[in-house]
Amino acid sequence: MKKLNRYDQWLVVILIVGSTLLYGSLSWLINAANSGQRIAIVSYKDQEVLRIDMSINDTYVVQGTLGEVYIEVQDQKIRVERETSPYNLCSIQGWVSSSMVPITCLPNHILIVIVAPQEGDTDFEVK
Amino acid sequence: MIEPVLPIPVPGVKLGLANILGLIALMLFGVKTMFAVNLSRVLIASLLRGILFGTGFWVSLSGVLISTTLVALLYKTNKFSLVGLSIAAAAFHNMGQIMMIIVIYSSIFMIYWMPPLIWLSIPTGLLTGSLALGALQRLRFQK
Repeated sequence: MKKLNRYDQWLVVILIVGSTLLYGSLSWLINAANSGQRIAIVSYKDQEVLRIDMSINDTYVVQGTLGEVYIEVQDQKIRVERETSPYNLCSIQGWVSSSMVPITCLPNHILIVIVAPQEGDTDFEVK
Repeated sequence: MIEPVLPIPVPGVKLGLANILGLIALMLFGVKTMFAVNLSRVLIASLLRGILFGTGFWVSLSGVLISTTLVALLYKTNKFSLVGLSIAAAAFHNMGQIMMIIVIYSSIFMIYWMPPLIWLSIPTGLLTGSLALGALQRLRFQK
């Protein structure tokens, strides 16, 4: 560390502390968003087509560009069970329970995002 | 262009060896040359890889513009060593890239990647800074 002078060391400290604080804040936000009742919003070509209550275990079907997309909810987790697409990447993605992890089915233009249902209490704006 | 081939234990992370050129240009010729070198390398690398004006190009360009500008400001203070500037360049480069990704994909979720990338920029900045320092010492010795 001989190459680092006092100012360099301060820079390193600021970077570590700043990024750790950011990481901590984001993790806290995720935990807050993941607690309590949640819903999943399913959009087709940026238009909301379905709202799913994550507390009810069930299977839903929405129409995508290449065919029907089967969505399954179980134990507060959601996944695309099966769909018609070249690589089936969104069904391979598997179960998702975090509001920070959207399920994106590009060939079918389907986007699934978990959010908190309270109005005016949105942590993030999802476009 | 060689960097993606190098085995790095963390997926998607690069050492930022190209930053060495910018740092050497800064130390030998000043801020303007560093801007020219850094912008040129983004343009040339994008042309060679066939991604000019593609998503990857804009992400690289934003990283380079933000890191070069902020490193130039830090350099003007005369307080930081070459290795310190290298760490700053690596960290600001990652910040710039993440900001552009957030804009392109309209997804604030991507900010979650910023802290891990900043942590990783410290060892990678130390490495590239040390390499640039070694190269400069040899260049000056040869003069």
